[in-house]
Amino acid sequence: MSTELKAPPPDYSKLVDGSRVHGSAYRDPEIFQRELEEIWYKVWVYIGHESEVPNPGDFVRRQIGLQPVIMVRGDDDKVRVFYNRCRHRANLVCLANEGNTSKFVCPYHAWSYSNTGELLEPTFDEGYDYDLDKDQFPLVEVARQDDYRGLVFASVAEEGISLTEHLGAVTEFLDLFMDLSPEGEIALDAGSQKVRYKGNWKYMPENSMEGDYHGPFIHKIAFELFARRSGLDVSTLHEEEIPDVIRSLPGGHMVEDYRGAPLAKRPGEPSPARKEYVEQMKARYGEEKAEQMLGTMAPLLYVFPNMIYIMTHIRTVQPISVDETVSANYPVMLKGVPEEINDNRLSDHEFMFGSAGFVSPDDVEIMERNQVGMHAEGDDWLFIGRGEHREKDMPDGGKSGHTMDETHLRGFWRHYISLMNGDAK
Amino acid sequence: MTPEHFLYHEAQLMDEARYDEWFALWLEGSTYWVPADPDQDWLSRRVSIINDDYIRLEQRVDRLKSGSVLAVEETRGAMRRLVSNITVTRDEGDEVSVESNFMLGIARSADQQFWMGRSFHELRREGDTFRIAGKKVLLINSRREMPLLQVLI
Repeated sequence: MSTELKAPPPDYSKLVDGSRVHGSAYRDPEIFQRELEEIWYKVWVYIGHESEVPNPGDFVRRQIGLQPVIMVRGDDDKVRVFYNRCRHRANLVCLANEGNTSKFVCPYHAWSYSNTGELLEPTFDEGYDYDLDKDQFPLVEVARQDDYRGLVFASVAEEGISLTEHLGAVTEFLDLFMDLSPEGEIALDAGSQKVRYKGNWKYMPENSMEGDYHGPFIHKIAFELFARRSGLDVSTLHEEEIPDVIRSLPGGHMVEDYRGAPLAKRPGEPSPARKEYVEQMKARYGEEKAEQMLGTMAPLLYVFPNMIYIMTHIRTVQPISVDETVSANYPVMLKGVPEEINDNRLSDHEFMFGSAGFVSPDDVEIMERNQVGMHAEGDDWLFIGRGEHREKDMPDGGKSGHTMDETHLRGFWRHYISLMNGDAK
Repeated sequence: MTPEHFLYHEAQLMDEARYDEWFALWLEGSTYWVPADPDQDWLSRRVSIINDDYIRLEQRVDRLKSGSVLAVEETRGAMRRLVSNITVTRDEGDEVSVESNFMLGIARSADQQFWMGRSFHELRREGDTFRIAGKKVLLINSRREMPLLQVLI
């Protein structure tokens, strides 16, 4: 028998040349396959928040790369992530997107599993000519699982850096949006909107973490409507370029840090609920920090490779193929606040986001056209050089740029290349 | 005009992107709701695909007709819908509740997109015609991942 030697992998460093990215990174199915192996099946991937499964038996279906998984709270109150695959002949054990169950029963031959993963009944087991050891056939848990303040992450790789190392400096920014709750706890209990687009998955984080560069061009009408609604003119933000807003962090994470850009005060007297919320925040965090948090927009953030927080919601990025992606929006509700605060967050969310929203569809339309444009290969390079000359090194090891700079993209691609070359962490 | 003819008229205005004429069908104080979860309660705090009061509905129309919404560029003149299975479920004085199914086809590039759902109209008689006091649309794919929805349904 001859052993075929695999050709050595191409040098993925060639996908990035200085401040240029090669179009094939968005277009080539072989590169997508490599991304699955070296990124999605190596690093920590965001699965969901524990508040999505508050009671024993609660579950949600998710994916890691192309692999179906279930996040379920067992009767022992522990949240686990299992592969969604029967140990018998690999059928899905769970078809529903969410629900509550004491056991998962495979529909094919009715093998059943508890919500903590043990095999309960293989059915007709007298037909096996040995004593079937049930302990050998539990639902398989994804190799590594951990959480940060209820945000559940998992990695299918047996070995790798810890979640703490993976998150690194981005925890400071995760804290900032979760601390908008005076109890320091969020709840993803308002359902989700799911959008499917014909474009590469990387457009979503790249576009989502872009500051104000595309806003004045594609969101013009949305800004006008927002001004009409709230009395705040946000369309002029771009006229002033604020430093240290666009940030790349070690690990491929990206941040839009607007803490240096105070929000204009909304005209009119705040509602009683708003006043109560301000008092709650002051009581929990002290006057100064509360005012800072409420007087600026919580930083927008991207946790490599698939979790985004933007203003009202956590958004996941789920690749389907090299040119198809699903992104899901989960509105973030704040525990402990007056009802009106969460009602307004949800209303703001519906104004901006989802398939029929007034803002993010403009972005998604761009992503689909981007995928078509990417097939013109005359000069097959994208240019991500804005603000490179004024980029600053930050103490956390990342870099920062002005509101419209492409600092975040350069950081993302540095990390991407290191992973694609097999230096997975 | 019968409720049936009113629904056909509304469908034509939507297909032909006659935004102002469509908006004029609505009564002040009306609501337009496309839930993400068809079982969700109106009052529950669950995210919707569309949850417009009259003010936001006007904003929706103003946005669509602004000429600067990228996703609208391709769809003008490229969609038609069938309205069918019309059932009047309530007819009391000036108030009429009507349920109907629709199938909408949109031509986009080389693809045709199809949308299907059931509409629930709350109508008010006004002279020979009707105005819309409320409309709920249950899309068959509302729980699932969907493409952009930047047309009137």
